[in-house]
Amino acid sequence: MNYGPLLFLGILLTLASSWFGLVLMPNKQLGNLDVHTDTNTLAVYPQARNGEAQQGEEHYRSLGCIYCHSQQVRTEGYGSDIARGWGRRRSVSRDYIYNKTVMLGTMRTGPDLTNIGERQPDYGWQYKHLYNPQITSAGSVMPPYAFLFETVKIGAHGPNTNALVLPPEFSVEKGYEVVPSIKARQLVEYLRSLKSSVDVPEAEIKKEEAK
Amino acid sequence: MNIIGLIIAGSVVLLPGVALLALRWAGESGQLRQFDRQALLPFDEQEPVGQATDQILGRKHS
Amino acid sequence: MSASVKSPAVRALLPGDVSPETSAPTLTADIDASCRAPVLFFFVSGLAWLLIGTIFALISAYKMHSPDFLGNCEWLTFGRVRPAHLTTVVYGFAMETSIAVLIWLMCRLCRTPLIAPGIITIANFFWNLGLTVGVVGILAGDSTGIEWLEMPKYSTPILFISYALIAVWAIITFRLRAEKHLYVSQWYLLAAVLWFPWLYGTAQVMLLLSPVRGVVQAGVNWWFAHNVLGLWFTPVGLAAIYYFIPKVIGRPIHSYYLSVLGFWTLALFYNWNGFHHLVGGPLPAWMITVSIVASIMMLIPVTAVAINHHFTMVGHFGKMRYSPTLRFIVFGAMSYTVASVQGSLSALRSVSEVTHFTHHTIAHAHVGMYAFFTMVMFGSMYYILPRVTQREWPSARLISLHFWGSALGIILYVVPLSYGGILQGQALNDASIPFLKVVALTLPYLKIRTFAGVILALGHVAFAVNIVWMLVRVFGPYRKPLQMIISGSEQPAAVGK
Repeated sequence: MNYGPLLFLGILLTLASSWFGLVLMPNKQLGNLDVHTDTNTLAVYPQARNGEAQQGEEHYRSLGCIYCHSQQVRTEGYGSDIARGWGRRRSVSRDYIYNKTVMLGTMRTGPDLTNIGERQPDYGWQYKHLYNPQITSAGSVMPPYAFLFETVKIGAHGPNTNALVLPPEFSVEKGYEVVPSIKARQLVEYLRSLKSSVDVPEAEIKKEEAK
Repeated sequence: MNIIGLIIAGSVVLLPGVALLALRWAGESGQLRQFDRQALLPFDEQEPVGQATDQILGRKHS
Repeated sequence: MSASVKSPAVRALLPGDVSPETSAPTLTADIDASCRAPVLFFFVSGLAWLLIGTIFALISAYKMHSPDFLGNCEWLTFGRVRPAHLTTVVYGFAMETSIAVLIWLMCRLCRTPLIAPGIITIANFFWNLGLTVGVVGILAGDSTGIEWLEMPKYSTPILFISYALIAVWAIITFRLRAEKHLYVSQWYLLAAVLWFPWLYGTAQVMLLLSPVRGVVQAGVNWWFAHNVLGLWFTPVGLAAIYYFIPKVIGRPIHSYYLSVLGFWTLALFYNWNGFHHLVGGPLPAWMITVSIVASIMMLIPVTAVAINHHFTMVGHFGKMRYSPTLRFIVFGAMSYTVASVQGSLSALRSVSEVTHFTHHTIAHAHVGMYAFFTMVMFGSMYYILPRVTQREWPSARLISLHFWGSALGIILYVVPLSYGGILQGQALNDASIPFLKVVALTLPYLKIRTFAGVILALGHVAFAVNIVWMLVRVFGPYRKPLQMIISGSEQPAAVGK
């Protein structure tokens, strides 16, 4: 009973089915999705990120932020994503067409970041939170990213404009200040670019919630 | 993308067709007879059915 | 079989004190001897990756509740240690041991000695090289950011060379088989060998070489990641279970028809499951619905396998006391049912609403990869190593320590964390509970998880000591191995005195 060829064929056919169904078909349906142009304002959505924010996306990937933060808002009534303010509307495929690596995420050890740019636009908050999350969010289990900052001696011209304003219990040695490195600045630019504030035809922001 | 569409359409017809042919061939040439005899394949003359193996742990260590 | 070693390859290693009544040559001993070098290399390097992966696991688990631990080291930040853990245990330990088990099972069931075993040994070198490059790349910050596929793309060509050698050799062995009949384990093995390069190749091309646009990436990612579990690890694990349960208890599988039904339904449904990781996500509903349906359909092969294994074992559960292999394999087989049912249920929209994005998913992944797959691989190693090295396990105490460390450790890991994950999900879905309160709620379960990790680590160390002890004997003076085959009625021999 040498049914090797039959077995071989069956093995290939079964996987071929989902390869067509779950790989090629989605690519056919979504792979050419393009920007949406508002007919009234002619505003184009989404926009590609600027260079700083794009660099920041690379740090987001490299530091593995995805293992605790998702970037997808589920629809109203399914989970409490919108009620928590993680987004004004559910996420749609179009939101991601300019992402180099799509990091939807599968864990919410930390909050969803789809709309973090609107929720926390303040540079100071973002830097302090990255430097040591306990400063802004006591009890957080997020690791400190102090290695993205430099502790330098305060120069003759006084403190750096970017220097972190740290509360006393977190302050560094007198005469020194903590300044964000280029990586930290790029990462924060990326985080500030994450916004879910534009209407798209497939998922409109509820009018009473929109400003 | 048209190429992918063509591939998909072509394979929807072709692949199940080939599968059915293969199944017919297998049935006709007697490949599927005496099927459950194959359950004996892990055994041989030295380790026949009925002979346990790997019984290496003593009772006091169980 | 143990004392009756006649193959020239093995006899060369013996000082010639083989007793005459057991000196008739046997094909099985030849086959085991031919697999000796490749199996040893893959098992030992797999074991090394297991220990490294366990260290990464403990670091990440501890960081989860004490984030300042090693906080100043960029290379050891949580977001890098965690993918390093996954990569070392999945592509290091699990992949390498499964390759060894695959090669050995294939040779035994084909009744063909492995030709040119050096090729597989070379493949082992390349796999370890590619993996080392990949893991260092992840720690250095070159992770791809794609779950289950974190190794940077410059490590892929090295891994590809290795896999190509292994796959070609497995297929050559299959083609040259002396036994024309096929056992169900061979179906699973052949399928795994053919499915894996298709999966890995598709993922590499569509995600890393010329990435597809937008959320299609997420789709390809989960089609790949779920299928690595479903179409590589599950088939190899099931192949081992289908071989070792009958082999150890000396009784053929309960229903061969059922095993064939199980194979084809698994092949049909499992590969459609991947999108259940994207329930509620920004992809068209039909894609996700298809995966949910396929996940529920998985209950058919899982039930077929569970019934078949259970009825094969009925009346033979007592043999678990004497066989380390059977202990681990039966534990793994039972966990397969648990993992699969849990997985099918978690795919339902109403369940996923709670469990998605929580530690419940992490617990579930460990039921599948550890309680099922890793335990089956441990069991297989307990059977295969004495036969390829012609040495008995040195210590029964260490075997027991390993079994109970792994079994109790993984139960203590998954049960509290699954429960904590559900609580976490319910709290997350109640927008009136502040986020940091949800974090605080999970802390006790995360601490229990770290403790469970320490118990698992103890089991792994016991296993490693036993293997190293055994290998020292291989290279040291030959000792006559203990009788390994006892007929059902006879008193079992004991080791570890």
